[in-house]
Amino acid sequence: MFGWTGKLLHVDLTRGTCERREIPTEILHAYLGGRGLGVRLMRDYFRLGPFEPDLPLIFAVGPLCGTNSPTAARLACVSRSPLTGTIYDCSAGGRFAWRLKAAGLDALFITGKSPQPVFLCVEGERAELHPAQSLWGKGVKETVAALKVHGSVTAIGPAGENGVLFANIMMGEGNSIGRGGLGAVMGAKGLKAITVQGDGVTGVADQERFDAARADVMRLFRASPVIFGELGIAEYGTPALVDLMAQRRMAPTENFRSTFFAESGNYSGPAIREECGARKEGCYGCPIQCKKASAAGEPLPEYETVNHFGALNGISDLHAIVKANSLCNELGLDTISAAATLSAFGEARGRFPDAAEVAGLLADIAYRHGQGELLSLGSRRVAEILGKPELSMSVKSLELPAYDPRGAYGMALAYVTSNRGGCHLRAYPISHEILRKPVPTDRFSFSGKARIIKIAEDVNAAVDSLVACKFAFFGATLEEYGELLSAVTGVEYGPESLKAIGERIYLTERFYNCANGFGRANDMLPQRFFEEAGSAGEGIDVPPIDRARFEEELQKYYRIRGLDERGCFGGRDLLAELP
Amino acid sequence: MRDQIDKYTGKLVADRSACADGIAFAAQDDVLITAGAPELAALAGNTLSRLNSLALVAARPSLPFADFLIARAGAGEECIVPQDTETRTFLHDIPFLRRRDLAGDPAPILAKLLGNRKGVIVEGVGIVAVGAITVEQAFINYSSVFHSTFVKYLQDVLADGFSLAGEREAFDAFRQQWLRPLSAAGLDFVGALSLEKEEILAEIERVGRYTVERGLVDSFFGNISASAGELIYISQTAASLDELKGCIDPVPADNSSTTGITASSELLAHRKVYEQTGARVILHGHPKFSVVMSMICDRKKECAIKDCWKDCPHVRELGGTPVVAGEIGAGGLARRVPPVIGASGSAIVYGHGVFTLGREGFGEAFAAMVDVENFCREEYFRQVDRKQGQKP
Repeated sequence: MFGWTGKLLHVDLTRGTCERREIPTEILHAYLGGRGLGVRLMRDYFRLGPFEPDLPLIFAVGPLCGTNSPTAARLACVSRSPLTGTIYDCSAGGRFAWRLKAAGLDALFITGKSPQPVFLCVEGERAELHPAQSLWGKGVKETVAALKVHGSVTAIGPAGENGVLFANIMMGEGNSIGRGGLGAVMGAKGLKAITVQGDGVTGVADQERFDAARADVMRLFRASPVIFGELGIAEYGTPALVDLMAQRRMAPTENFRSTFFAESGNYSGPAIREECGARKEGCYGCPIQCKKASAAGEPLPEYETVNHFGALNGISDLHAIVKANSLCNELGLDTISAAATLSAFGEARGRFPDAAEVAGLLADIAYRHGQGELLSLGSRRVAEILGKPELSMSVKSLELPAYDPRGAYGMALAYVTSNRGGCHLRAYPISHEILRKPVPTDRFSFSGKARIIKIAEDVNAAVDSLVACKFAFFGATLEEYGELLSAVTGVEYGPESLKAIGERIYLTERFYNCANGFGRANDMLPQRFFEEAGSAGEGIDVPPIDRARFEEELQKYYRIRGLDERGCFGGRDLLAELP
Repeated sequence: MRDQIDKYTGKLVADRSACADGIAFAAQDDVLITAGAPELAALAGNTLSRLNSLALVAARPSLPFADFLIARAGAGEECIVPQDTETRTFLHDIPFLRRRDLAGDPAPILAKLLGNRKGVIVEGVGIVAVGAITVEQAFINYSSVFHSTFVKYLQDVLADGFSLAGEREAFDAFRQQWLRPLSAAGLDFVGALSLEKEEILAEIERVGRYTVERGLVDSFFGNISASAGELIYISQTAASLDELKGCIDPVPADNSSTTGITASSELLAHRKVYEQTGARVILHGHPKFSVVMSMICDRKKECAIKDCWKDCPHVRELGGTPVVAGEIGAGGLARRVPPVIGASGSAIVYGHGVFTLGREGFGEAFAAMVDVENFCREEYFRQVDRKQGQKP
């Protein structure tokens, strides 16, 4: 078999066992890997609660991982989110995925609950659980330092150990498995960390074809101003978006009360470069290297993080934002949800946290001390407990990232149709509504957006299953990645067959969610976006979203998806139809 | 979406790439709609309904070059491999269906081919192109295929002459009837562009329209900029040159803001040209004969370089205009154009297009592009005639 290893490691933490098992070839062909494989492997477990021991925590790589396919040294982590209650996946880069594949595995399937803290050590064919009592309570850096002798490390920090609902799993290289609180799932299992090491090589079925496809991808990367342009993400990282979002009047500010922050230039891409001496870093083998680190090697914040610890909380001090980012990384907290929860809390109490207060609050959250006990629940629960549920700027309890939906109507729709809650990456309409890729669309129009969002969700589900980075698709398309996949695996794939796989994955997720009680009522934006205007300026008006038009487009979306008016499947047994 | 279909039907007629009575679109939101020539509309609808895409165009090209390319292809060939950089980069290859493969309903096989590529040529029917997320994208892909087949056919005729019945007559009709004289006559330009923002934006918008109307680009791609002190005003990436209002980025010369992340992929080339020449404006288009002639090199047989379009280090000349190699964007064009463009005010990029500059305004740049294209057009026909044994 080329591309895949056909093996997963089944780890039962309750029994303390590790066992290699076969993955049926037809499942790999039908779901690829990463998100798709993880979602398929959840089929018998999706009704379990996020903290039930038998709920699996799955790490899955894709068939391109281990080759020098651009941006493909990634994995998806899949489980059920304690923050949202939905099926959950997150794509992450670094070195871990590549080493996992080199250990001869397509996936780790971790179930059960260890009576004592442990870490999982995978070294080639060997896999063992080791005591981790001495690491429990340690920050991420110290944990990684202690374990890196075993290979690449992924670990939780105090936030995951303490069940913070938006706790991350941190990759040793500074990447994170973020947003949905899978760090808390890992913590509930008593699993502090995983180390992987291996020297296996991923076979490529047709090297000549692969080389040609790779050259096509790289040519498109070079032709993309967003990727390799002199103002693009390779140069400035995602903070390259700070100035653009300010100009477009869609940078969420003060808990989305406005959409322009006059001091955002303090943490723009050029400002970070100048102030922090930003240098290029990135995932293993990635030609883009969009991650940025300080001269001292400290990972620097992404766009979402600078906006949310900045504008969303009314903070303009770059160094305070960088410090908040570092603290989240060390404690194992999701930066978007942490900052958005602080912002909702700030609006509810009538005062946003200042730069000096943030660090203390983050530590309180991770250790669930004082006000942190409340804040560790995320903005939806915080706002409800404070009697102001309307102040949580979230969808399905997932805090919205740094693209105001009043400034991009496809984004507005995509936030609510996302299977993991208010996420920008499921359909990523910012790509066409703002960044003009592959072609521009009218950001203040709903026309055609239901179909566009549906298609993009399918595409991105496939991308998350290859697993490739979404940034690659600011230049390349599934045409080129389908060619890479065919060359690697020897199985023919193209854009249309990949989109069909993506649709299968998307519908499976939606089915799981509907079975767990999600439906039309959960596919809704916070009321603020229908009632309050954003910040006008530079000839741009940002009116409230027309609710009737929004709902009309949502119903169109359901029809395109083959769902009923409630956004569900009626009596259809979808899973029986799927491999 | 009907307004979009009307708009892009109009553009296909206006740019004369499709026959007015042979254009159809299909688009799907929660329902499928079709419009245009009935038979083609049925084909478009039947094909699109099999695809996870938003739009599709099926149209009969105004020139028979695509059909000729299929007829000239070898028996085992299934696709056309374009040589020009734009289509090489974005289309890779263009599959075709022969007339004999069209028994029964062609929609399933068409959908299968379009499941892997952006456009397909169907012999005797036309060009069918898909738009993954917009109607405009279907139009762009149609236009790219039309451009690609135009360029390749002209290349092949120059290299191999005519081989089909009726081919010479069709070529002569193209030369004498379809082609129109190219000039800048009747166009108005600001003589010396000021530093005033509104004037610059208005002039860029106007020149963008001229560039499309005079056929100096494929679909509507290309890019335009003007320097103004510490700013470069440049058209955005994927912007329609004939609809630039609101699609021009002001980019600080010192990169102190990244708002211009949406600027044209050729921003770096423009910036370096300004730095090295002191020009006020730059115009970049893809005029077809310039693209064709840039790929003709009499040293190819003995040259060790095979990927001429990106690796050729030589500076050749076409009528006094330097020709250099270089990929789009960060791929080399920005390195090779700036050093050569200053002397003549124009430069051709191998298989790609033409850059021209103006010291004071767009009048000079536009005229230079017209001159380059006219030279290449004349030179092309001169060489064809010579090979055919005719007098020019």
